[in-house]
Amino acid sequence: MIFFQGKKSRVIEYLFTIWVIFTLNFFLPRTMPGDPFLFISADEEGEEVAQFSEEQRNYYMAYYGLDRPLYSQYFSYFSDLSKGYLGYSLYYNQPVTIILLHRLPWTLCLVMTAVILSTVIGIVLGGFCAVYADRWEDRLLYFMLIAISEIPAFLVGLVLLFFFAAGMGLFPLSGAMTHFSGYDGFMEKTGDILHHAALPVIALTLTRISGIFLLTRSSIITVLTKTYIKTARAKGISGQRIFIKHIFRNAMLPIVTRVFLSLGSLVGGAILVENVFAYPGLGKLMRDAVMMHDYPLIQGIFLMVTISVLSANFIADLVYKKLDPRISDAAAADGH
Amino acid sequence: MLEIKDLTVTYHTNTSLVCAVNNVSFSVKKGESVGIMGESGCGKTTLAMAVMGLIQDADISGKILFNNDNLLAIPEKKLNQYRWKKIAIVFQNSLEVFNPVLTIGEQIIEPMRTHAALSLKKADIRMRYLLELTGLDPEWANGYPHQMSGGMRQRALIAMAISCDPKFLIIDEPTTSLDPESRDSILRLIKELQKRIGFSLIMISHNLSALREMTSTVMTMCCGQIVEQGITADVMRNPMHCYTRGLIDASPDFFKYKDLWGIRGTIPQNTQSNGCAFYSRCCQAGENCKNQRPILQYVSVERKVACHKGGIETLLEVYGIQKTYLLKDRKIPAVKDVDLNIKSGEIVALIGKSGSGKSSLAHILVNLLSPDKGEIFFMGKKVKGFKVTKKIGGMQIVFQDPFSSTSHRMRVLDVVNEPLDIMKWKTAEERNIKSMAAISMAGLPCSDDFLQRYAHTLSGGQRQRLSMARALVTGPRLLIADEVTSMLDPSSSANLLRELKGLQNIHGFSMLYITHDFHLARKVANRAYVMSEGRIVESGPSFEIFERPVHPVTISLMNSSFSKKEQKKRKKG
Repeated sequence: MIFFQGKKSRVIEYLFTIWVIFTLNFFLPRTMPGDPFLFISADEEGEEVAQFSEEQRNYYMAYYGLDRPLYSQYFSYFSDLSKGYLGYSLYYNQPVTIILLHRLPWTLCLVMTAVILSTVIGIVLGGFCAVYADRWEDRLLYFMLIAISEIPAFLVGLVLLFFFAAGMGLFPLSGAMTHFSGYDGFMEKTGDILHHAALPVIALTLTRISGIFLLTRSSIITVLTKTYIKTARAKGISGQRIFIKHIFRNAMLPIVTRVFLSLGSLVGGAILVENVFAYPGLGKLMRDAVMMHDYPLIQGIFLMVTISVLSANFIADLVYKKLDPRISDAAAADGH
Repeated sequence: MLEIKDLTVTYHTNTSLVCAVNNVSFSVKKGESVGIMGESGCGKTTLAMAVMGLIQDADISGKILFNNDNLLAIPEKKLNQYRWKKIAIVFQNSLEVFNPVLTIGEQIIEPMRTHAALSLKKADIRMRYLLELTGLDPEWANGYPHQMSGGMRQRALIAMAISCDPKFLIIDEPTTSLDPESRDSILRLIKELQKRIGFSLIMISHNLSALREMTSTVMTMCCGQIVEQGITADVMRNPMHCYTRGLIDASPDFFKYKDLWGIRGTIPQNTQSNGCAFYSRCCQAGENCKNQRPILQYVSVERKVACHKGGIETLLEVYGIQKTYLLKDRKIPAVKDVDLNIKSGEIVALIGKSGSGKSSLAHILVNLLSPDKGEIFFMGKKVKGFKVTKKIGGMQIVFQDPFSSTSHRMRVLDVVNEPLDIMKWKTAEERNIKSMAAISMAGLPCSDDFLQRYAHTLSGGQRQRLSMARALVTGPRLLIADEVTSMLDPSSSANLLRELKGLQNIHGFSMLYITHDFHLARKVANRAYVMSEGRIVESGPSFEIFERPVHPVTISLMNSSFSKKEQKKRKKG
């Protein structure tokens, strides 16, 4: 019963958060100066800019329902949402859902690869430094990673682009695939996609490693001072088992939280990096949508990001409870 | 079985070296139980960690021989063959002593899988058996450390420690943070397990009564050094190092009624000095104690003490004192064949009814009466004349009646100056300074006005403090206090006695406290002599005399003092 109550309040918390975000989603784009019909283009490339006459503008405003009062738009937005309908892009002339589903895999591919790579590398380096804490290896790595962490992702992207793509020509300058190429097989296609994704992934990974690295390092160093590590060593069990079951198992708790919680900020980083590499993911789409005041599309993207951040939080909660028995007991106690 | 030779553990801090264990040697035989006592920070736990090979960031020298294998010479990996299987440890109980994210069961199984190579199923069965054996519900196998109470965790720790049937068990503070009931059951449990498994035991504790129950021999550690070693019961009853005595005095479970007094001073931070570890806090420290470390050596059978003076010194030894008063034709025997001794730094109560010969004895001790027979030795030398009372650091007496013991025609300062004047100690100026120090020590004002007052203008309490100041001005090693508080009201008496005890604790002098007030004696005395009709009928540590008297006279005295009727009345009221 107690457990159930704990869960119930958690669900209400999530629902409330979602409502607040949806509402913000609706109002934020509409507070931007200008409206969608100041500039609009029929062309998907967005190069051609057409000027609208006053008449045309009024016609389109009425057509898309933008002339109605805000509250009525707000309610129809919610009723659409509840049916799973995200609206119709003003700029691309396509349902928002289709556009999102088309772009999402690219961003997911970038972000997930970067998360996995940065987490693994960060943990390995952090673990190494924790074990060799205060030796020269540790100090060198520590200094280097602190330095890298201070550079923003898009700058790293620009530098990579400048040297490896433009300078040495090792990597393509933009895009996610080579245009108009017929692939001979699955392998070739995958290779091409990886080739395109390499630099953006590296840029994202580089900026994220240091956070994980620092956290891992300090977390392991803290765990090493705990009494239970002495207990484990006294028991005469193998060093490998001590590291996995006693040191790492405890040290990973803050890391798990951090990885999941940072997914949100990672999408932010992806926006900038995708724009630098002209990578056709959600980030680039968002920039375009904002430029064009494409309200339904902006709302759709924000919604997507929101949902992914919230579900990341939700998963983090679940995973953390599984990993740390103290948390589930505390949550149960909260339900009283 | 376990032999430790010249073990030294030195930690490096940023600024200095800290010697946590300093040249320690001892051995533990098979099946033996050895206790280690000492204040926190004296190196007890470091010693245990060194035996387990768990010290990483310190220099270790010496030898730890386990069945003749030197554990310090064995590489870390091979050490795992000794850990838990041969030597196991019950760590000091804390929340973090268990891994918070693994179940209790997993953590108990772990060493069995490694050392006994048990299958998971067999290990699981044994783990449940162990939990039951230590008095826990086997269901706790699936519990997490944070869900357990302190007592349960202590049991789980023990279950984990005995999982591989160790030959040798180290137990670190098993009873701290436990209530008395769980404390007793934990100690019983350890005893039972020892019978069943037959391990040798080192028990580390600052709880002396737990050590007294559990161990056969005991060591006292002070600043990383062993300062006393002996059979537990003997050491507790008759400590021979000032530090051990201090620890016992500070244990409320030994002296239920005695006021609590810790060992004066704190543990010195500079442990690198070459001198005795206890030098700065000792009541009998001499010059060589400062610069030369005493060696732990036998002072009697089964007792080793590290002290240049061979342990607690005996200040006063009295043999066969007899005194008979002659009244016309009648002989009234006042003191009959009394033997008595007083050690340095202790308070000895001489108790008995009025007229039992206590004051006569006191007067004989300071040579105000000459005995018919018997000998008195002060600091090993036979007492002749007033030599002992006429010197700095000798013997002084404070009498019962301050009005007759201080001349009312003398000024305050002159009263206190008098003993120094008689000794012709230094210059008049220096005497005044020393006297003023003694006057303020005795809790009297030091204003010029007060110093020039005549003694007859003072109250009873002030007069008694004045006579105390007169005694203290010579810095006596032994103070004989003959019914000093009997003429004062309860509040003045309590203040005076507490201050006297405080001074004794700070300056470390010994005191023979003569009284017929058993309540007061019970509050201050380390030891007691009971006198009746001129004889000493019983003597011993005060926790025995006041709680388990043997002699019929003592029993009847105790009964009338701490009368059962009175207690009953109070209960009814």
